[in-house]
Amino acid sequence: MDSILSMLIFFPAMAAMLGFVIEKENLRTYGIAITAVEFVLSLALWASFDPNIAGYQFVQVVPLISQFGINYHVGIDGISLFLIILSTFMTMISLIGLGDMKSEKNLIVTVLFLEMTMVGVFASLDVILFYLFWELSLVPMLYIIGAWGGPKRIYAAIKFFLYTFAGSLVMLVGILYMAYLYHQATGVWSFSIPAWQELVVAFDVQLWLFAAFFIGFAIKVPMFPFHTWLPYAHGQAPTIGSVILAAVLLKMGTYGFVRFSLPMFPDAAVYFTTPIAILAIIMVIYTAMIAFAQKDMKQVIAYSSVSHMGIIVLGTFALNAEGIVGSIFLMISHGIVSGALFMLVGVIYDRRGTKMIADFGGLAHSMPRYATIFAIMLMASVGLPLTIGFVGEFLALIGFFKVSPFMTFLAGTGIILGAIYMLSMYKDSFFGVITNEKNRILSDVNKRELTALVPLIALVVILGIYPKPVLEPINNSVKLLISNMEKKSQNHETKRHLKNVNTIGEAK
Amino acid sequence: MEKYLLIALFAPIVGSLFAAIFGDRPKNVITGIVTSALLGISFLASFYLLTYVDETHIVKVELFTWILAGNFTIPFNFIADPVSVIMMVTVTTVSTAVHVYSMGYMANDKGYNRYFSYLSAFVFSMMILVMSNNFLGLFIGWEGVGLCSWLLIGHWYHKHSASWAANEAFIMNRVADLGMLVGLFILFWNIGSLEYDVVFENIGSLDNDTVTLAAIFLFVGAMGKSAQFPLHTWLADAMEGPTPVSALIHAATMVTAGVYLVIRANEIFALVPDVGFFIACLGAFVAMFAASMALVNNDLKRIIAYSTLSQLGYMFVAAGLGAYWIALFHLMTHAFFKSVLFLGAGNVMHAMDDELNIKKMGGLNSSMKYTGLIMILASLALSGIFPFAGFFSKDAILEVAFAEHAYILWAMLWVSAGLTAFYSFRLVMLVFFGKKEHKKFGFNPHETYTFVLLAMTPLAILAIVSGFFGGAFESYVTQILPHYDNHHHISGAAILIAMTLALAIGGIMFAVYKYSNGGFDKKLEQTFIYKLLINQYYIPEAYDRFLVQPFTRASTYAWLNIDNKIVDGTVDLIATTIYKTGDKTRAMQSGNLSKMLRWMVVGLVVLLTLALFYRP
Amino acid sequence: MDIGLTHYLVLSTILFSIGLYGVLKRKNLLLLFFSTEIMLNAVNIGLVAVGNHYGDLTGQMFAFFIIAVAASEVAVGLGLLVLWYRKHQTIDLDSLQDMKG
Repeated sequence: MDSILSMLIFFPAMAAMLGFVIEKENLRTYGIAITAVEFVLSLALWASFDPNIAGYQFVQVVPLISQFGINYHVGIDGISLFLIILSTFMTMISLIGLGDMKSEKNLIVTVLFLEMTMVGVFASLDVILFYLFWELSLVPMLYIIGAWGGPKRIYAAIKFFLYTFAGSLVMLVGILYMAYLYHQATGVWSFSIPAWQELVVAFDVQLWLFAAFFIGFAIKVPMFPFHTWLPYAHGQAPTIGSVILAAVLLKMGTYGFVRFSLPMFPDAAVYFTTPIAILAIIMVIYTAMIAFAQKDMKQVIAYSSVSHMGIIVLGTFALNAEGIVGSIFLMISHGIVSGALFMLVGVIYDRRGTKMIADFGGLAHSMPRYATIFAIMLMASVGLPLTIGFVGEFLALIGFFKVSPFMTFLAGTGIILGAIYMLSMYKDSFFGVITNEKNRILSDVNKRELTALVPLIALVVILGIYPKPVLEPINNSVKLLISNMEKKSQNHETKRHLKNVNTIGEAK
Repeated sequence: MEKYLLIALFAPIVGSLFAAIFGDRPKNVITGIVTSALLGISFLASFYLLTYVDETHIVKVELFTWILAGNFTIPFNFIADPVSVIMMVTVTTVSTAVHVYSMGYMANDKGYNRYFSYLSAFVFSMMILVMSNNFLGLFIGWEGVGLCSWLLIGHWYHKHSASWAANEAFIMNRVADLGMLVGLFILFWNIGSLEYDVVFENIGSLDNDTVTLAAIFLFVGAMGKSAQFPLHTWLADAMEGPTPVSALIHAATMVTAGVYLVIRANEIFALVPDVGFFIACLGAFVAMFAASMALVNNDLKRIIAYSTLSQLGYMFVAAGLGAYWIALFHLMTHAFFKSVLFLGAGNVMHAMDDELNIKKMGGLNSSMKYTGLIMILASLALSGIFPFAGFFSKDAILEVAFAEHAYILWAMLWVSAGLTAFYSFRLVMLVFFGKKEHKKFGFNPHETYTFVLLAMTPLAILAIVSGFFGGAFESYVTQILPHYDNHHHISGAAILIAMTLALAIGGIMFAVYKYSNGGFDKKLEQTFIYKLLINQYYIPEAYDRFLVQPFTRASTYAWLNIDNKIVDGTVDLIATTIYKTGDKTRAMQSGNLSKMLRWMVVGLVVLLTLALFYRP
Repeated sequence: MDIGLTHYLVLSTILFSIGLYGVLKRKNLLLLFFSTEIMLNAVNIGLVAVGNHYGDLTGQMFAFFIIAVAASEVAVGLGLLVLWYRKHQTIDLDSLQDMKG
């Protein structure tokens, strides 16, 4: 079991290499089989994961450049476990739901490579390795958008690549400086995340390092005002690209906050709580309003993603177990729900070649099953209790409430605005009478699409009712994270803040 | 006993899922039968619990932990204590009747199976709402009924008005839900739990400001569900849904959830009488405000909807003034007589091919005797005439207002009682008596199926007799609710009762007299007050003009101008600047040797200057 | 008036500037060679003068080296120039644009 993580990371890539020699017709089956095996592997990982251990498990270290302390170092805790499962699951689902595409073979191989990078990002415990996978994940995505996208795909792909790449470079500077600091403090070179998490950094240096990492993560999330690449990327990407982008790639940014920003720079995290929370609230409200103004179904969901990511960021910077656990759960639930919604838009796009709301209306008549599934996902997206969307949103908001009731109230308007844009879109495209004759003869969801969507629905309901198996391991790891932050923080203020936000009533 | 609780709770969802299997198939009577039967079972189980549960026998069930994170743990746990059992019985009684009724009403509807699935899902949510033993469970039901209400109002989704009303109801309720969530957050961070027992045990130890805030925010949630001003507009629009839905959701059960919340959290509200008084004031205001709109409306269902709103106001007065058991009592009697009133209206609509304008009806009594009778009885109950149910509960509320020395509130309620009597009988007169206006429009009214009438009968009987159980009701629910006895507070209660009764009878007589003599002068319709009332005080228009339209404009502006031009423009500006700089400086690398030599010299000079003058 | 180090160095600077001006202004490759030769010899003068001033032979030695290098450079350069002329019938500097991007 020791090398199961390495298997998880490299199996899809190996399979992708092998995929080149398989004939075109069988590659779809091959791809689904590979991702299914990968998903089963990740489930096996969960099965052998001990939820009572809060620290890193399945750790594997192979020295790469030992004079600089760069190792192949992987391991997971409760936080990354479910993000890995999410990655493997959504990749599998997106391949199952994949519609007919030109040069399908290349696409599937690309997706398999992408899967490697996604799992790699979440499993890495070495910063250089993390950075490697982080940057590598851009390449397949660039290729997917640029080669299979819509009419403005080149612009969108380049914007996506350069924007996130620029952010990552700033982060790289931060990484190098942090490594230098580590060398200064201990006399040895190390890029190990657990070691870095132990390192105490002076407060003013923390601020700069935090900012450097923040830029890299914020662009990926994407946080306001760095979000403008996302509508283009989603607007132009093929369905499978949007699904993976929304479901997993965005989560890398928020994962970065939890893995790097909080434990490495606790004082800076507390220091920057308010400005970040303001940005997050702007994200929630402002992008929700923009989503309402959209005329394209996919753009509505793209902007709604940004809005939900705002809640995730807010919950993360609540700096208490409720908020962070909520954020991580929301990452998972948003991955499932937004992935499903993008897939659903893909369903109608495959049939009609358009995704403008105005072209539809009355779809519930011709596609009742589709309308039902869409409604379920919509309700999960607006955070109805007993769906997966509620748990995370509720926890993230309740977590931040302790930090600032007023800001939580503002962010809470997101649940109203979310209902407004989602329901308006649903009403305009599904309700009413059929105005366009082309919509009358549309066929309902077919078997392939159902196979992809039904597991998502099942998860939305099951994890909405019984989220405990997921919440528990996350909770343990997050508690450890918070106690480490408290231990490591140097300012008295920080300690008090952390204690305060983690206590019921007044902290003593 | 636990198993009865679980049966009562889960029977409706089983029915709903069963009906959902047939969701996209053509009508199948079996869905109606199965869901109704399962609701019957749920009703029996609830009734059995009613006989079992008392102060010492409270049934509690805990299923499993739902959410857990940090300090926050919440299980799925349910309770059957006197209050929730009363609610359970009320809900299941009305819903069973409505289910059976719907089998007739929706007989020719294409979405028959879908309808029953939604309807049973609604009952399930409502049961969760009343049976949960923690605030978050209540919130599940709270949102669940909102969802089902959305689905059912929008049942005829091909109608623009229906889907619009569904969205309005959902969104407006969400506004209130945010308030409720904030209330829950306050409770959690001060007490550390959302379970009723723990919260109520520790609420006394919190400082007054916190409790006040929590109470206010919880009440904001109640305002949305119970459609109190200013979140009331959705209720009248919700009448776009099928009539049985209006009877069940928008009269008997869901809209009373707000009242239930205040009753359930009485230990919080009792600590802050100021908030309670505010609730009572708002309730009295809504009672009168809604009654006034009902006076002039010509839409059969909207009149009843406004009367619901008005009666909800009454309930809030009682709850706000601390007479929780009276609020609950009125909630129950109102559920019976209002649902039967709606169901009667449904019969009328059926007979009139879904016509709603009461001005186009008249004289229906000759062809629909039984429906007419039921509606007259229900209207009498609504008007608070002895010995019908409304008399007992409504009078009790008026007495409470008087006993608390809230004379202004009492006066408002008293006037509203008169208005209620008047508009109820205006409706009865215009629909069932007088000239047969419908002949002009070629309608051919007919009585509905017998089994539908039979389904209404139990409710009608309850509307008549349930008032007599007031004493037993009081002693039952005050086992856990605070006692409130009017009669110790005021002497001359009989005079008050007589005054109210006289006003109500007066209102009825006036309506009967006026409308048997041709109604009011048309000129009245030109007056300002008439226009104000018929336009619902211009509130929906104001919402549209001052909230919806600005929001739409602001959104479009934010998208086109801020996001596209400023935010994205800045990003693109950086990119184009870099690109242009490259484009411009490309000329340096022209490959022309002499130019390159010149640049070399420039570089040389720069380096020399640096070497000479730069001293670090 | 004695002719001192300063005068040699000024002469060297003037010659170098003339050479530099020629390099910048001339388009004829042959004249460019002349100009570079002038620059090299300006440097030579400077080296010899400074060497003499310090009584050190290294300066003169270096000047010889430069003369030798310059001679070989001219030999190779002129050869290339002749080849270029044969191929393009011109020795204009601006004709050397084969690698223009």
